[in-house]
Amino acid sequence: MFDIRGIGIEIGQTVLSLLLAPALVGFIRWLKARLQGRRGAPVWQPYAELRKLFRKEMVVSRHASWVFTLAPFVVFGSTVVISLLVPVVLTPLPFNALADLFALVYLLLLGTTFLALAGLDTASAFGGMGSSREMTIAAISEPAIALAILSLALTAGSTNLGEIAARTIASPAHALSPGHLLAFVALFIVLLAETGRLPVDNPSTHLELTMIHEAMILEYSGPYLALIEWASWLKLFVFLVLAANLFVPWGLATSLDPAALAVALVSTVAKLAVLAAGIAVLETRVAKLRLFRVPELLAFSFVLGLLAVASSFSLR
Amino acid sequence: MQGVFSQISVLGASGVLLCGLLLLWRRGAGAYISAFTWQSAILAGLTAAIGYFGNDAQLYAVAALLFAIKAVAIPRLLRRLAARFTVSRESAPFVNTGTSLVVSGLLVLLAYAAARPLQAIADAPTKDGMPLAMGLLFVSLFVVVSRRQALTQVVGFLMLENAIALLAVLATYGVPLIVEIGVFLDVLMGFLVMQIFLYDIHDTFSTTDVDVMRRLKH
Repeated sequence: MFDIRGIGIEIGQTVLSLLLAPALVGFIRWLKARLQGRRGAPVWQPYAELRKLFRKEMVVSRHASWVFTLAPFVVFGSTVVISLLVPVVLTPLPFNALADLFALVYLLLLGTTFLALAGLDTASAFGGMGSSREMTIAAISEPAIALAILSLALTAGSTNLGEIAARTIASPAHALSPGHLLAFVALFIVLLAETGRLPVDNPSTHLELTMIHEAMILEYSGPYLALIEWASWLKLFVFLVLAANLFVPWGLATSLDPAALAVALVSTVAKLAVLAAGIAVLETRVAKLRLFRVPELLAFSFVLGLLAVASSFSLR
Repeated sequence: MQGVFSQISVLGASGVLLCGLLLLWRRGAGAYISAFTWQSAILAGLTAAIGYFGNDAQLYAVAALLFAIKAVAIPRLLRRLAARFTVSRESAPFVNTGTSLVVSGLLVLLAYAAARPLQAIADAPTKDGMPLAMGLLFVSLFVVVSRRQALTQVVGFLMLENAIALLAVLATYGVPLIVEIGVFLDVLMGFLVMQIFLYDIHDTFSTTDVDVMRRLKH
């Protein structure tokens, strides 16, 4: 059914994700600044940051091993592979056979693990602290993601991401079911934890006591830092696309018709804008949680996921 | 139409349960009271929706009463109570937050198991929400037994009452209006009695932490 055009669109969609991810982050930052009464940097500021970082000289610690050099590529690569699997504009993607829930969770974990290893590698105090915190959070958040998507999979009868989106398009009543709604709340909480957003980690400061993501990448500079930052923006983008297109899949193209693809592109951007605005509003309203309360927040998300699975199972 | 009705009832029931679970995660009297207010408001909305789909005009009156008493009057009294005692935070509950969340998850699963026979005999389109209402019943009982602050226990008790109201409206489209009015009066009276108790406890022990009240035994 899909020929070379389908694969072209798949690759095009990944390139598009890579290009749009910095704009998404820039949009969140800009909106947050406006909400806080600041003028804020323009939306395209992250592109300028990337350009600057790619041009800069790289300083690598004398004590760094090959793990330090490998990590940025693994982190970036695994995130790009995830963006190949997630339906951004088209739902049964040519690589759909690989787009499995479990593959997604493990790919996410691969990037997280390498980032944590890189944080430990240079043996700086902050890096180790950041890695330890990241692992604490990842250990609870990964099962919560799996559980949230599993409840969708139970309704759809498949753990395949494309299949889940296609089934929800086919029967719209599913989207309002409690399983879906609880799973959405669960996934949104985990999304905030995984991408280092506010109640869990503050993306805009380097405060030693609280940072998680920033602590792990403290030793990186120049192009490596650019790769890691880009990967983390792409991760946010992919997570938001996942939340938008698995739970509210309408507008996604189901064929290679150019008009449908255009509609899909516009609708995805609109859904992302709504979610990004939600994050910006949330981040101006809540304060960062104490680190010891983060597992409690994630436990809440886990329980919601559990309830979602239970209700999807009983309503099946 | 039946499908939509069923979805809405389950959706409303999960919203009500979600507010109950928030009680376990959030800390501070203000957060508890707003969770209760939201819960009552959702419950009132759900009652009105069931009245619309089930063609029962009485339920509109019940919904209006519910909103007036549980979402406006009682929260206001609770806020006044909280301001008076200046208990801003729940001091270390008997069961810590993480464990109590997991326990409540298990309790809801238990409710799914317990509600299975009920669901089997019911044929109303709202029957899928019944396990959620039962789950809230268990969770709010758990709140009552696992928290130290008397105020939190009162909110837990009020949520228990909400759970029973939810179960009634889901299972039978609501009991007759006259019974409902009686229940509301009971809730209001019960709450006023508890309020007086709280004042007395606070006056005698200068705290509302029930763990300190072991002195009563001697």
